[in-house]
Amino acid sequence: MATSNNVVRWTTLVLRVVLGGIFVYAAWAKLRLPWQLFAMSIDSYQLLPTSLVELLAKTLPWFELALGLVLIAGWWLRISSTIVSALLLVFFSLMIRAAIKHQEISCGCFGPGETISWKTMLRDGSMLAGSLFVTLMAFVSRRSRTPRPAALPLDGTRPEPDPSLPPSASR
Amino acid sequence: MRLAVIALTAVLAAGAAGPAEDKGKVLGSSTAPLRLEVYSDFACPACRTFHEQTLPMIVHDYVMNGKLAIVNHEFPLNIPAHKHSREAANYATAAARLGIYEPVADALFRSQESWNETGKVWETVASVLSADQQKKVQALVKDPSVPAEVQHDVEAGTREKISSTPSIFLIRGAQRLPIPFPVNYGFLRSLIDGYFK
Repeated sequence: MATSNNVVRWTTLVLRVVLGGIFVYAAWAKLRLPWQLFAMSIDSYQLLPTSLVELLAKTLPWFELALGLVLIAGWWLRISSTIVSALLLVFFSLMIRAAIKHQEISCGCFGPGETISWKTMLRDGSMLAGSLFVTLMAFVSRRSRTPRPAALPLDGTRPEPDPSLPPSASR
Repeated sequence: MRLAVIALTAVLAAGAAGPAEDKGKVLGSSTAPLRLEVYSDFACPACRTFHEQTLPMIVHDYVMNGKLAIVNHEFPLNIPAHKHSREAANYATAAARLGIYEPVADALFRSQESWNETGKVWETVASVLSADQQKKVQALVKDPSVPAEVQHDVEAGTREKISSTPSIFLIRGAQRLPIPFPVNYGFLRSLIDGYFK
């Protein structure tokens, strides 16, 4: 049981760091180039007005960078992993939509120059699966760490204090 | 037609191109600080849209004033739906050697649906050439160096990991930026203008 818990814990850790690293890399790939290139990638999905495209092109890479770093650090894990999962779900859905509409457009995932294909969909789908697993584990581990109130014995007597706990905790 | 006229003016103003380029496929000055490399397939509808809608604006705004040069490359896709693309690329390359690439490219894009279905590529090309030019293009297209030049473009595109057409690159010195398609001209203009501020 302890071994399987360890496997789950290590898998979650590795997935979290890998996902965080991918987000940092994706942000760097966009930030090192003029924002207009990412704007053209977003615009090719033909979903948003130009003003929103421009705003997103200028801000999303910074958001991805922050999310990636927070994920690697393991801070606010339930919130950060949920946002990453939601973001990946949006990206993945947009790719599927583009594929259904036979749009041969740049994915925009890691800067320009990568057309949407089964490879990009497989990659983003895998990332989404990994992210959902990390999110699930973040909530499960949180619940298992939350102490439950001790049940009172049926005969109404006070439970014996746990000798392994410090006095203040056993009171 | 409009592009052909603008292009002809630009070609006349053009100087020598780089050693690996076909000078006849370069629009603009060799001293232009920016270059736009375009890999296209004459049977590709998206290439036609770019050629007929976006390219004339780029030529008007940046090629005519010497800020940018356009370098055309052939990238006939090896798919059944484009079975006459390579033949079209060969004719366009032959025409480029006579300095009449743009009128031929214009005609091929304009009638792409027709020749792509019937296979009458030469008829489309011939429609914009004089009798003398027709003879010269027919002679040139039989020269092995013409298909070899098209193949050279295809290999260069493959090295660039091109998987679809049109594939467009904006080049400034050593920097080579892939331009996502479809091109939003407002963003492209903002990008190019940024280099001249």
